[in-house]
Amino acid sequence: MIKVENLVKEFKLSKKQQKENNTSEKVAKAVNGVSFECQAGRIFSLLGPNGAGKTTTLRMISTIVKPTSGSIIVDGIDVIKEPQDARAKIGFLTGSTGLYERLTPNEVLKYFADLNDMDKATFEKRRDYYYDLLDMHDFKSKKIGQMSTGMKQKVSITRTMIHDPNVVVFDEPTSGLDVITAENIIKLINDCKKEGKTVIFSSHIMSEVDLLCDDLAIINKGKLLYSGTMEDFRSNMQTDTLTGEFIRIVNEN
Amino acid sequence: MKKIIIIAKKEFLDLLRDKRTLVRMILIPLLVFPVIINLVTMVQSSAAEKEAAKEVNVGYVLNGQSSDMIDNLAMIPNYNFYEFSDSTVLQDEILGDSVTVGLHFASNFDNDYSAGKTPELALFYEGVNQEDLSKVKYLLTMQDSLYTDMRMKSIDKDYGFIEPFSIVNRDIGDDNELIAKYAGGMLPYFFLAFCFMGCMIPAIDMFAGEKERGTIETLLTTPVKRLQIVFGKMIVITTFGLLSASLALLGLYFSLNFMGGEDELMKTIKGMLSPGLIGTLYILLVPLAIFFAGIMIPVSVYSRSFKEAQSILTPLNILVVLPAIFGFLPGVELDYTTAFIPILNVVLACKSLIGGHPDMILIGITFFSLIILAGLSVFISVKQFGKEGNVLR
Repeated sequence: MIKVENLVKEFKLSKKQQKENNTSEKVAKAVNGVSFECQAGRIFSLLGPNGAGKTTTLRMISTIVKPTSGSIIVDGIDVIKEPQDARAKIGFLTGSTGLYERLTPNEVLKYFADLNDMDKATFEKRRDYYYDLLDMHDFKSKKIGQMSTGMKQKVSITRTMIHDPNVVVFDEPTSGLDVITAENIIKLINDCKKEGKTVIFSSHIMSEVDLLCDDLAIINKGKLLYSGTMEDFRSNMQTDTLTGEFIRIVNEN
Repeated sequence: MKKIIIIAKKEFLDLLRDKRTLVRMILIPLLVFPVIINLVTMVQSSAAEKEAAKEVNVGYVLNGQSSDMIDNLAMIPNYNFYEFSDSTVLQDEILGDSVTVGLHFASNFDNDYSAGKTPELALFYEGVNQEDLSKVKYLLTMQDSLYTDMRMKSIDKDYGFIEPFSIVNRDIGDDNELIAKYAGGMLPYFFLAFCFMGCMIPAIDMFAGEKERGTIETLLTTPVKRLQIVFGKMIVITTFGLLSASLALLGLYFSLNFMGGEDELMKTIKGMLSPGLIGTLYILLVPLAIFFAGIMIPVSVYSRSFKEAQSILTPLNILVVLPAIFGFLPGVELDYTTAFIPILNVVLACKSLIGGHPDMILIGITFFSLIILAGLSVFISVKQFGKEGNVLR
């Protein structure tokens, strides 16, 4: 489970940034008092236009960025007080996630397994499970730099899931990927749900949200505009389409 | 500690598969001395051979005087003598390069010599032909001695009559001291420079490179402390710095023992490379390499890309060159001030060791000042890596 309460993230603005944004404020609030809960076994989608604060929120949940104030509990662990313990519970994947191009999948997976304190037997079992599932045997010893985008994405998925995280964070996971590669991610997200994991993903593609999510939150300019179940969202729609409703909520606020 | 080693192991593997790393940090340091020494030896021997075979063309105007001296000189191999009618023609020939040095005997040369006076022998030349001039001057000095001797004999005196005493030079100083004074700073400088260059590529690749490739975020979401990440990577940077310096030393050792021959330059370098010097150099290089890593990491962490980090760090080479240049100067010694100036202190400590009179207290101060600097730079690196504004820039 993920519980986010009154989350605030401020970034200091340089004089150049103040000028560019036409403001005299010395700080910008990327996230401003956001609260929501993601339940285990459900898929939670964080929606918002570009620059809404989605990535910053997910980075705070993943402990990459420290919140200015507020609290985040991941799988019962306070992310701010015990970031290292929280990280052991989290799998993190973005559309732009890079891999070590001079290493092979075998080496990359071993590296992340070691960093997650996995024992050899468990690691090999999980690794082979994903090799079978994603049909990776043919390129497991090939250098990542010589692989196609689709192959790389499969390695990224396995890297994210190798330590069997209870919470999986996807930041625009299909962004920039072709349809077939994106399909692997969609399948992974659904598999995580089936396994009872907590899944949070950010997107601005409504069809993806419609297909996958059980709960959603809409944020814009760092503020939470909507939070609830997908079912409630659909039943209270004031426009004909999900995209139309998303645009209406963003524009009205 | 386990996580630090895991990170370091992965970084070693990753870097050793990078061709750029292998060339710049392994191949170049290993080959630079053999190539330089081979070139120097080749150029030196070829220049010496050319010089030995070169013929010197000397013009002369007897001005009606005896040709005894010229006849004597003409017997020496590789010297050609050509007679000219007057000094104007002789000068024209010198300017036209058909002869390089000209001798012009004064019109009363023979009479004055016989009368015990000092007749004039004018020497014409162009300043650019210094080598030929020196050779001819040497020949004339010999003639001068011969003529003096003949004159002394004519009055039944020995040559010693006009030489009331002779000066005998006896240098009782240690050759190493002289070497240390004028060249002692050069050798350690080469290793410092390779150490710096060896640190640079890994420092850039492991921070700015990771940011550029988008792998840093993934690493930050693993249950590893940032301190452990910095330490793991720092071990690799420092090791590569020391490895580059060691390979340069190995290359030098190979060159001196198997390629250089026995000329003066090689003997001088061999004279400097004592086990004591190498040992001390390494003891001082370890904290210095950590210090190098410590100043490179914050720059690399701050930079958005490999190129940006490289463009900032490359001019920092001056940081190594400048203090080292001061260390080359004769008279600049290791003292209670210079022992605290990084790089310069290592150069001067090595200089004092080559000279054979090291002050161990000052070398100790050098070592501890480097340790403090290394610690400080590690602290700054960890702080900078901890700043999310830098890492996610």
